[in-house]
Amino acid sequence: MLKTCSRENEVRELVERGQWPQACAPELRAHVESCRSCADYVLITTAFRSARAEAVAGVTLPPPGVLWWRAQLRRRNAAVERIGRPILGAQIFALAINLMLAVAFILWQARHGLAWLSWFSSTAGPAQGQQAVFHLDSFWSPQLLSSGLNSMTSPLVLIPAIATLVLLGGVVVYLATEKQ
Amino acid sequence: MFWESYLPSAFAGDAQPDVAQPLMDDEAFAGFYERSARSLWAYLARTSGDPALAEDLMQESYVRFLSAAGAPSHLNEGEVACRRYLFRIATNLLRDHWRRPRAASIEGIPENFFARPSHAAQCDSQMTLGPALAKMRPRERQLLWLAHAEGYSHGEIAEVTGLASASIRLLLFRARRKIARLLTDEKRGRVKAC
Repeated sequence: MLKTCSRENEVRELVERGQWPQACAPELRAHVESCRSCADYVLITTAFRSARAEAVAGVTLPPPGVLWWRAQLRRRNAAVERIGRPILGAQIFALAINLMLAVAFILWQARHGLAWLSWFSSTAGPAQGQQAVFHLDSFWSPQLLSSGLNSMTSPLVLIPAIATLVLLGGVVVYLATEKQ
Repeated sequence: MFWESYLPSAFAGDAQPDVAQPLMDDEAFAGFYERSARSLWAYLARTSGDPALAEDLMQESYVRFLSAAGAPSHLNEGEVACRRYLFRIATNLLRDHWRRPRAASIEGIPENFFARPSHAAQCDSQMTLGPALAKMRPRERQLLWLAHAEGYSHGEIAEVTGLASASIRLLLFRARRKIARLLTDEKRGRVKAC
């Protein structure tokens, strides 16, 4: 099925050198006319070669500098991305640690009976027959100050701790999403 | 302090030699581009039947060629190897493009899917070859172009297309028979029309 002509190489050489059919011996030309394989080869190769020559002559190429610049940019981005991968891992780890600390803190507070909730209710809760008003002065009362020094559950510790956690969480989320 | 300040080398572009060191400098690339871009464009345009797509894929091929860590070195392996590698990238991009709109294999795409008229349809060879190529399968066009327009051997075509060398021989044989018949019919039709 895949039988090719023994003289195809001769024809191939002539076509590749551009010597077909001018520099071809009459005997070889007669062979090509009678041999299907060689005739097909000549027909296809001349058609493809002239199509290639026409296509090559007609194309307008973009400047190579643009492609060079795009390639450099892509290489640099790939290098930055490769280096940034462990940094992103560290950021995710930091976020996880923060979340764990927050959860541990909340659990610890819950185990201590949520004393600060009762403090909030005593500070902001309405007395009988009064409107609900939040008094900032209540933060600096001597009673609370002394209790704040003695107990970790006091608002003087609790509020800065929550604020710090929120701030750190915000920073970590910002760092983690900065790339996107 | 920003973490970037600890890794200045990464931003200077010399973090790792395989990725950061370019295959060739910009002048060498400009020369290589001048010598190879036209034939690559012709290959892509005639096998895809779409000059605009050919230009996009040609640019992407060069960018990937320059960015690729495993590309052959211009100095060590020569321009022929670089050119073959470039054609391989272009062939893969073309195959990806053909696969994208349809989930079917490249062989399953109908021939007339690519039979869009080209702006070069006025040319004589295109008048003969264009309709015949439009009736061929994309894989057959690639094989025929690489073998007959670029003059690649079976081994080189195998390297470019990723097919086995033994398969190339059979596929090329069938494609040759098919396009020879189409070209002959086309010529006969034109003679009759005249």
